[in-house]
Amino acid sequence: MSSRSVEPRRCAECFRLGDCLRVVAVWLGIAGALLCLFAGAAYAAGPPDAALAQLLRDARAEADTPGACAQPAVDRLVRIYCARQIRVGVRTEYPLFATLNEGVRSGYEIDVVRAIARRLGVGVEFANVKAATRIPMLADDSVDLVVATMGDNTQRETQARFIRPHYYQSQTVIVGPRDLAVTGWGDVHGLNLCVTVGNGSNAEMMSRHARLMLFDDAEALPDRLADQTCTLAAQDNSFFDYYFTDPGFAARFSVKFGLAQVPWGMGVALTGADRLARALDLMSQIFHRDGVFLAAAHANRIGERFLRQQQVRWRRPECNTDTGSNDPGCVIPPSNATLQPTRFSAGVGAFEAWFGRLTGFPLQLPMLQTQPAWLLFLDGIVNSFILIVGVLVATLGFALLFGAAMASRWRLLRWTARGITIVLQSSPILLTLVIAAAIIRAFFTYSPAVALGSAIVALGLTNGGNAGQAIAEAYLSVCAERAGSHISRTDLFVRALSRAATQIVAFLINAAKGTPIASFIGAPELLSALTDISSFASGRATTYTLVLIFYTGIVIAVVWSCRRFQRFLERGRLLV
Amino acid sequence: MTALEQLLGSNFLPGFLTGMSVNFEIAALALALGLVLGAVLACGRFCGRFIAAAAGSIVALMRAAPTFVVMFFLLNALPRGGGFSGVMIVAVSLVPYTAAYVSDSVIDALRVLRAGSRLGGLLILPNIARAFFVLVMSSGAGAAIGVPEGITVLLREAVKMPSLGEKLALFMIGVACFGIPLQAGFAVIRLVQRRLGRTAPRSGTKLAHGGALPSEP
Repeated sequence: MSSRSVEPRRCAECFRLGDCLRVVAVWLGIAGALLCLFAGAAYAAGPPDAALAQLLRDARAEADTPGACAQPAVDRLVRIYCARQIRVGVRTEYPLFATLNEGVRSGYEIDVVRAIARRLGVGVEFANVKAATRIPMLADDSVDLVVATMGDNTQRETQARFIRPHYYQSQTVIVGPRDLAVTGWGDVHGLNLCVTVGNGSNAEMMSRHARLMLFDDAEALPDRLADQTCTLAAQDNSFFDYYFTDPGFAARFSVKFGLAQVPWGMGVALTGADRLARALDLMSQIFHRDGVFLAAAHANRIGERFLRQQQVRWRRPECNTDTGSNDPGCVIPPSNATLQPTRFSAGVGAFEAWFGRLTGFPLQLPMLQTQPAWLLFLDGIVNSFILIVGVLVATLGFALLFGAAMASRWRLLRWTARGITIVLQSSPILLTLVIAAAIIRAFFTYSPAVALGSAIVALGLTNGGNAGQAIAEAYLSVCAERAGSHISRTDLFVRALSRAATQIVAFLINAAKGTPIASFIGAPELLSALTDISSFASGRATTYTLVLIFYTGIVIAVVWSCRRFQRFLERGRLLV
Repeated sequence: MTALEQLLGSNFLPGFLTGMSVNFEIAALALALGLVLGAVLACGRFCGRFIAAAAGSIVALMRAAPTFVVMFFLLNALPRGGGFSGVMIVAVSLVPYTAAYVSDSVIDALRVLRAGSRLGGLLILPNIARAFFVLVMSSGAGAAIGVPEGITVLLREAVKMPSLGEKLALFMIGVACFGIPLQAGFAVIRLVQRRLGRTAPRSGTKLAHGGALPSEP
């Protein structure tokens, strides 16, 4: 019995102890559960989520209100609910990011768009956009949103409302053949560097005296690298990532060096899309925090480093708020690409508009719109005049030199001059320019003045050699006619100059016409300057039409001046 | 083994010669187009006063338009290069020069023919042949827009040469490859001109071009 009584007592004590422990455990459990619940609630339904949910609820309700959808000033977010679909501009040939193959769209950006549509609870209507059309299509209301590899910079901020936080980040990289030793800007002189018009890094590349070749679409660059049209190509690393997955491409080419990083932003119209932009800002925050962007990146095998950094950032309590997208401590600022306008840019804009209305031709004068373009333009004109005058003087000087040498009594001098002339005649002018530039650069470091000097020497030598040959032939014919008479060699030479006047003038004109080719070796004349301006501004048609008119006008002026010079030379024949 | 020796041991020369064939192709295209346009303009210059003045002005403008600028104009000012290939852009950019030259040559030949010298009129043929060789040399401008002609091939390899000496040696190979057909062509033309000149002593047509090359475009 005692054992029984003891047992129940001991059991009762045990029960009390177990009960107490159980109660403590239960309370601890409840406390823990509550803690997790609160923490979870704070995490899953924090301020951005609540603000987004409220915004979408209000927009949906407004769209359901009779007559609201017909309102002209209705926000695009409401209109999306009215139409029950969002119209999104995407690219079609940007591998890993947005491609369209046999009607099937795929890529990181396509997945992002689908995630947005799911969150909004609407369908998607895709529209094809290109680099040149993505912002105009927003402005003319062809699309509600653009998700199209668009770098966010201060210049574009004036044309579209960028969604923050940014959904990706890229860096412009210079890609070229593996066996080509290029490690920095010092190595790109004289090489064709292919770029796409409007690339945010073009202004920097231009300032480093790279010889730019312009393309409308990035898709052409790998092919042009492969067929060696381009020695180097500059484009976002995100673009080349795909091509480097091809073993053949990776074996032939490598990244030489990179430029500044640019954040990519989705864009909506500047007006009438405030609520849509706000909703997308919040959604973008949430997508970073919850790893939606990261999962899409992983699924499409693109670089994840930036997105991982962003995920950490947007999980921080100070960023994970409904005002996080406006917090400079959380969002990345747009890259700075604003070009200072000229003091007369407003007048130029008004003239362009007036001309467009009058003729229907969309005249664009980018060289007059911004200060860097204007300075390049002025330098180009001044350098062109220096080049033309220098080339004319050099041609005349070399002509006299070669003429005198080929008419010399000394056989060695005659044959040397003749040999040099034959070599110069046998070399295409472009090759002569390159040879002259290579020799001069062996002694001087590159500068625009060195390039101009090289061009003056090369063009002067080529044309002067030919004109000198004509002078020497004229000299021989004058000598043959005057055999036996007592005329000094100097007088004979002057007479030969008169006789060869037509040829001398022809080669002077030829030299002036050849000056634009100096742009090939980096001489900063007008053609080179306007090509640089075209790389970061619109209006290529006007720009190249102007340069054609400029040079044709210059040559006509040179022809007129040379004809007067020819008459002067021909008068010399009468005087002697 | 130097880089140049390695290059010459590789398939550089066949590649370079293939590139040079593109230069000849461009020159042939430019000459064909220039002949047609030049002949039309020459006929225009013999028509009534207004048409003659218009044709003369067009020829003057064509003579003054620098080929290199015309090439960039075609490439950049026309939407997608006017649908032309790189080869065609270079060829078309050479047409203003060719047409102006052909127009002048046709007019000279007609004047000599009217003066009664049939053989003198035939001097237009060597003059056209001379223009062809000038066009071959000028087509090297295509390197600036990446057309795979001879100079492009040469410059591609030159950037890989480590020393200036090797670069210059490579360039000299290029000069020789362009120079030999050019000088041979001019020698034949001079021979033909001399023969025609001997049989047509009254002809004054374009013999002024004898000796020195005609101006490049």
